[in-house]
Amino acid sequence: MTAANVRAVESWTLDPLTTYVQEATARLVLLMTPAGQVLAQSGFSRAVDVMSAAALGAAIIASTTELARQLGQPPFAGLTHQGERQGIFLASFTTERGPLVALVVYDLMASSLGLVQLFFDHLVAELRAASPKAKETRQVLAADFERELNESLNSLFGR
Amino acid sequence: MADDVRSLSAELAGDPQSLVFVRLGELLRQRRQFDAAARVALHGLERHPHLADAHDLYARILADQRDFERAFDEWDMTLRIAPQHTGALKGLAFLYFTVGDLAQAERHLEAARAAAPDDPSLEQAFLMIRGGAPPPAARAAEVDGGAAEPVQALPEARVFAGLEGANEGLLLLDSAGLVLGGALRSPGGEDVAVAVAAYLAGVSQEATRTAKLLGLGEWRGLAAEGPGGHIYLTLPAEDAMLLVVRERAVPLGRLAMLAQRAGQAARRWLERQR
Amino acid sequence: MNAVAFGRALEQVTQVRGVRGAMLVSGQDGLVVAEQLMEGLRGPAVAALAASLSSRLSRAMGAAGLGIGQFWHLQCEGGALLVVPAASGLLVVAVADPEVNVGLVRLELLRAAEVAR
Repeated sequence: MTAANVRAVESWTLDPLTTYVQEATARLVLLMTPAGQVLAQSGFSRAVDVMSAAALGAAIIASTTELARQLGQPPFAGLTHQGERQGIFLASFTTERGPLVALVVYDLMASSLGLVQLFFDHLVAELRAASPKAKETRQVLAADFERELNESLNSLFGR
Repeated sequence: MADDVRSLSAELAGDPQSLVFVRLGELLRQRRQFDAAARVALHGLERHPHLADAHDLYARILADQRDFERAFDEWDMTLRIAPQHTGALKGLAFLYFTVGDLAQAERHLEAARAAAPDDPSLEQAFLMIRGGAPPPAARAAEVDGGAAEPVQALPEARVFAGLEGANEGLLLLDSAGLVLGGALRSPGGEDVAVAVAAYLAGVSQEATRTAKLLGLGEWRGLAAEGPGGHIYLTLPAEDAMLLVVRERAVPLGRLAMLAQRAGQAARRWLERQR
Repeated sequence: MNAVAFGRALEQVTQVRGVRGAMLVSGQDGLVVAEQLMEGLRGPAVAALAASLSSRLSRAMGAAGLGIGQFWHLQCEGGALLVVPAASGLLVVAVADPEVNVGLVRLELLRAAEVAR
């Protein structure tokens, strides 16, 4: 995974994510809001994959957050799944920009959950340090949404 | 001379701790009674393991028997005990000359001359090296009418001249995992140098990261035991790695010593390439 | 295999003079299973990095036809990392001072690996 594979809609995420991808030897990484809006990605080659992963990741976080709420405890720190060749790690954290979610996919031959988690704390610290203040909320019009989505996709895929 | 051998033998029998074994061993060596000379030398080394002359004697016996690898070990040990031992310096010069490494041979002769400027044998040795005389093994082939195969120092072996297993089990790599010198075969005889080198680049990077993040300082060596053999990985230079592989019978401690010697040879070779 | 047995096994390792800490690590995940660490040692970091290095080293030794590593020792200027893989996939890990008696630590790690089998 090279630094050239990291693309960001919000540029402040670029350096922390680049460092993280190299240190954790992550195969794919998505940084997004809990609503699924992608801020940066690494390793994805198709827009449809990014959108699918973001939607699914956001849904998983929403489900587990609700589960934690029903159990009467704070949101879970992180969620992991391990397959035959790859594993995923999904975690939410707060920044001044607002709450964010990271989805990390790693190859078992190249990395491990231990490494992914070890360097994740550093990623969070760097993102918090680089984060701008939270954007003011505004009403999103359908036309704005499509334009912003297209602009995001252009940024994420270097077009 | 026979009387000398008898009287020295009697003296040694009467006092096994006596240092007379050095003279006796040398006499037997000159008479080409190598087995007897070796027994005397080893007997003396058991009682005087830190006597440089004893190691030098044993090295000369081994060199006469063409066991150059063990001779190198013994002369190396001699220099560890007595860094200016001219016998050991000349002996190592001879070994380097034997494998065709004239630069190293001359370096050791220079060191011998610095330690013993009046030694007449040194001029002859310099003449041999600078005069372009063929190494002793090649000359032996000429004398035999070409019956023996000429000694050709393999390019890879030159990196580790004088070290045991110079042709296999010693691998010098750059930081990208490309082979610079040496060779490596699996226990089954397969050439695995390139494959192992590629993996080792990752091992070295991870070792560096581990040592740094755990606050252990710079790493110097990585030793590992496996059912098929032992390995020792070290960094002779900033941009190079050295791997030593030996069968299980060789203890890790000895492997580390071998790696240290090989590292010195590798460092010199790398400096010459730059 | 249970937590008490693991704890006792690790305690034996830490009894060797010069050992700063010992732990059991999941070799595949690089996660801590059990630990006895001194102050100043970050368990998750030791676990993740030891597992990663162990994995890479195993692949290199496998390529050399030497089989799976049974013991390895990273020697550093300021300390040492010693690891014995157990048959269960766990790693027994010790962090030590540079002048530690490696032979003794190795023996205790092998004993602990038997417990973690």
